[in-house]
Amino acid sequence: MNFKREVARRVFAKELNNATYTIKIAGEKNPIYVLTPLGLRCNRVFVIGAMIEKYEVRPESGIWKIRVADPTGSLVGYVSNFQPEALESLLDIEPPVVVAITAKVKVFEGSSRKLVSLRPEMINLADFYARDYWIVETAKSTIKRIKDLETEATEDAKLAKKIYNPNLEDYKAAVREAITKLKEEYEAFEEFEEEEEDLDLEFEEEEFDLKDLV
Amino acid sequence: MIEKIEDLAERIYETFKDYGVKKKEIAERLRLLILEFKVPENEAMNTVTNYLVREYKIPRERLRAPLTKIADLKSKQWVSVKAKVVTLWEPSSPAIAQTGIIADESGSVRFIIWTKSEKPEVKEGSSYIFRNVVTDEFAGNLRVIITRTSDIEEINEEIAVKVDPKSKATSFVGALVAVHQNSGLVQRCSECGRIAKGGNCPVHGKVNWYDDLRLRGVIDDGETTYEIIADSKVLKELIDMDLEKAKDLAQKSLDRGAVLAELKKKLLGRYLVVEGSADLRFFRVSRAEFLKPEVASEIDKILEEIK
Ligand SMILES: [Zn+2]
Repeated sequence: MNFKREVARRVFAKELNNATYTIKIAGEKNPIYVLTPLGLRCNRVFVIGAMIEKYEVRPESGIWKIRVADPTGSLVGYVSNFQPEALESLLDIEPPVVVAITAKVKVFEGSSRKLVSLRPEMINLADFYARDYWIVETAKSTIKRIKDLETEATEDAKLAKKIYNPNLEDYKAAVREAITKLKEEYEAFEEFEEEEEDLDLEFEEEEFDLKDLV
Repeated sequence: MIEKIEDLAERIYETFKDYGVKKKEIAERLRLLILEFKVPENEAMNTVTNYLVREYKIPRERLRAPLTKIADLKSKQWVSVKAKVVTLWEPSSPAIAQTGIIADESGSVRFIIWTKSEKPEVKEGSSYIFRNVVTDEFAGNLRVIITRTSDIEEINEEIAVKVDPKSKATSFVGALVAVHQNSGLVQRCSECGRIAKGGNCPVHGKVNWYDDLRLRGVIDDGETTYEIIADSKVLKELIDMDLEKAKDLAQKSLDRGAVLAELKKKLLGRYLVVEGSADLRFFRVSRAEFLKPEVASEIDKILEEIK
């Protein structure tokens, strides 16, 4: 069996949205990969974030556009009949809400620049705990890529440096900010932990904040 | 040192005993080389082996498969292993005749006997010499593969075994990124237990079938994907769904697919800690639970790394 399933990579919106370079290895069945500025070669991603937008591109078109935010930015996704499983669950989901998504990554030529978008294969409701774990997991893998780029440790790191020459301080700051937000949340959380009413209130506030973003 | 020499002699003897070699002769030659001439052990082993091959006209391919302790196995070696079968699992594919764990006093390892190898069945608790087998690595774990050119000889010998818990079960954390359509309330062939979709077994055709509950899907940790299989026992512990509840749900919704939908709703995108064992294509989950993330402890570590 030669078919090998593509790994669902963990990557922040900021890094993925800046990707413009695609890699296609000759052969009809071979997947197209997106190379991110930090040297991640990916075809599929797993994201847990806040779905903050969902609307039908044109009435009756059957194509839905969604926007999913992580602490560094937001990603756009399109769901249609071609992704029946994702479409079915999307119809029951109303933003703002935390979701887990497995998606293929696509880069297409916009009018002024190349744009990254997701083609979700699976969408499901998720919770804040899972989202926080996803942020930690993604921060760790981002830091690893930053280090690999600094030392040009892999072929893809070298290639990414040549193509993008990314400002690594920028990416470090984004990770730092995402994790610091999480830290503040957890410190606040600890203070409230003992009183359940306060806990409930905090969740309501968090939901409310998300509504403001829409 | 005398004991060590006896042990080395034993290994060489076991490898070539079919050819009438004598353990005493091997031990004497080893003793001479190692103790008198201070030749390094591996040189002495090679020298004695070469002598035996010439003297007893042993085919060269036997040389490529020296008797090796399980703890010393590495990937992609042709070896022989003297070990006891400690566990047998149900094979996941008709291509596999038997699979499970073998162990000797140094450790344990998974093994696979290909159906095509046409070997007699091994029994749990019995000891064997597996001659001319090959090792490989799968999902980070070493395996011993018994092929057509291998030999399995049952031996009447009690082997004290050391079972490495890692070879028996591995555990990892990942997100369930896909649930395959052939999950949920499935029909199995009464003859062979294979999935019989719509009452049709791929081998036995239209058959009697029975209901079973299972999950087939993909767990992904961002670096590796694992095709997993979990049975109703695992699902019962994880989401409190067993075969009876699954049947109830299907009956109430007048749709067997309702069980699949329920599995997807409860499990897709969730981080799981799973324990189990890998065979040819699948990771068989023996236990799974939802991850309770310890985020707070990771935060400071990460901030330290990018300050
Ligand atoms: Zn059958």
